[in-house]
Amino acid sequence: MNRSWALIWAGISIGLLMLAAAIAPEHLGTIEPDRVLKSPFEVMPFGTDTRGRSLVDYATQGARVLALPALSAGVLVALFGVLGGLLRCSGSERVNAWIQWVTEIVGALPRMVVILVVALLLPREHRSLFPLAWTWALLAAPGAMDEAAAVAQRLGGSRFVEALRAHGYSASRIFLVHVVGYNLRPVVVRQGAETMMHVAFLEIALSYLALAENQPSFTHADSLKSWADLLKLGYPSLIPSLDYNSGHALVLGLLLLGLVAMSAIAIGRAARAR
Amino acid sequence: MLLPMVVPAVITGFIWSLPGDPASLICPPNICGGTEALARRWNLDGGAVQFFLGWLIDAAKLEFGNSWRLHQGLPVLGLLTAAIPTTLTLILLATVVVVTGGVLAAKGTLPRQADPAIRFIGLVPALVLALLGAAFIELTYGFDSFSSSGQFARLAVGAGVLGIADGAFSGAVLGTRSTFDTENQQRYVGVAILRGELPIENTLPNVAPALIGQMRARIVHLLSGSVIVEVILRIDGLGSLLWGGTLRQDFGVVLAAATLFAVVSSVLLVAQAVLETLVALHVRRSPRIQVRP
Repeated sequence: MNRSWALIWAGISIGLLMLAAAIAPEHLGTIEPDRVLKSPFEVMPFGTDTRGRSLVDYATQGARVLALPALSAGVLVALFGVLGGLLRCSGSERVNAWIQWVTEIVGALPRMVVILVVALLLPREHRSLFPLAWTWALLAAPGAMDEAAAVAQRLGGSRFVEALRAHGYSASRIFLVHVVGYNLRPVVVRQGAETMMHVAFLEIALSYLALAENQPSFTHADSLKSWADLLKLGYPSLIPSLDYNSGHALVLGLLLLGLVAMSAIAIGRAARAR
Repeated sequence: MLLPMVVPAVITGFIWSLPGDPASLICPPNICGGTEALARRWNLDGGAVQFFLGWLIDAAKLEFGNSWRLHQGLPVLGLLTAAIPTTLTLILLATVVVVTGGVLAAKGTLPRQADPAIRFIGLVPALVLALLGAAFIELTYGFDSFSSSGQFARLAVGAGVLGIADGAFSGAVLGTRSTFDTENQQRYVGVAILRGELPIENTLPNVAPALIGQMRARIVHLLSGSVIVEVILRIDGLGSLLWGGTLRQDFGVVLAAATLFAVVSSVLLVAQAVLETLVALHVRRSPRIQVRP
């Protein structure tokens, strides 16, 4: 995938995700017992669930659950990456040593464990994907800062800044254009895109695990459906003896996951240096 | 070594930074009833410092209390000791998969043409592979899936899932290969080749610390993924216990399990330091390298 195609693909996929989130209904459609578990060929475009409701609502509501939290987590990680790179360019050894220490401590914590502790302590009425996504972003941030700092180091760090200053460049041009725009951009955007993807996968995993135990999800209200509901609905189709025709839900769930992964790759590629 | 203390410290800070009564945060009154007993049990009525120190002292004496919602009345220590061997076996088997990937990459056995496929496999999340694994177990073992052979199959499939999903295998292969590729560009490697020595014999001691660090990070990643794999494949390990405790608001179980995860991670850090020291001693010893005739 070249840079132009990646840019187009990234724009389309993010646009689709946001559009789906914007048009998602508050509640699923009406129950229609005469069109239970219909395939996409029978009920366009994605088929129906066990109560005859269109899977389009599942797809859009799932997008609504994760679109903004994932995007905000991605932006947060990218900003932390920029901060890490700029701090390395500042040349302060004390600050960089402190960042190294924090990176090692945070990096040694299993992320899912921290997420579950946060999920446990969040008041039930405040449960949403946002706090979990931001926690994930904070856990991913040291890695992004470290990588961005390594890029800044290869660039020459504070010596690079001094050299540009000697050429008469303004501070904003040095830091925003040359350091961030030209050099840190590929790394921080890729890190942000990967975090977006991981947050989407995290949401689906947490929702699925809660569904498996018939418990409310940590990530969204009970009235909303996550993409994990599609996987849960489609899973019995993997076992032929159950004779459960919900394979279309599984395929749709997997396609949506694939779309998220492809988007993350496309965003990362689109931000690469020319 | 501070890591096991960081977890309760972060939890303490989190509880006291959120608005509201700490006991109500740990378990809402509509679920756990009166919060006074809860506050007394966890030293929550004496402030953050008392809670934190109380937890540390109890943990040092291996007193984690009883589970009050997940397995009511059972000692948390007993639940942990039953779960630890299963999770350790799972992680160990998954580590074998990851290490195999690293070794194959280092020896050049895996062709570079396979990289796109390996990258693609690395994108698959643990949940999806675990679901496929669960279906496989269901189809293969049916009602016997909870027999001893079924349990072993769950562990083996779980280890395979953990070792492959979320970029574990692809990360090991591509990470190891890129580390060696970078090191192979050094001048001394060219000299070693001219002297008839194998490059890997020269580069391995130099890249070993980086590879050990990468491997530790991957094992921590496996620990994180074990929660999903254990729940989906119904493996009664530490991850499953942690998830059950979180879902049912069993603070005692969650705090103990989370701290135990941190202890494992801490042990890995110590192991990394020891291995790095051994590598440094090995390099200092300057072993002779066999020159090919």
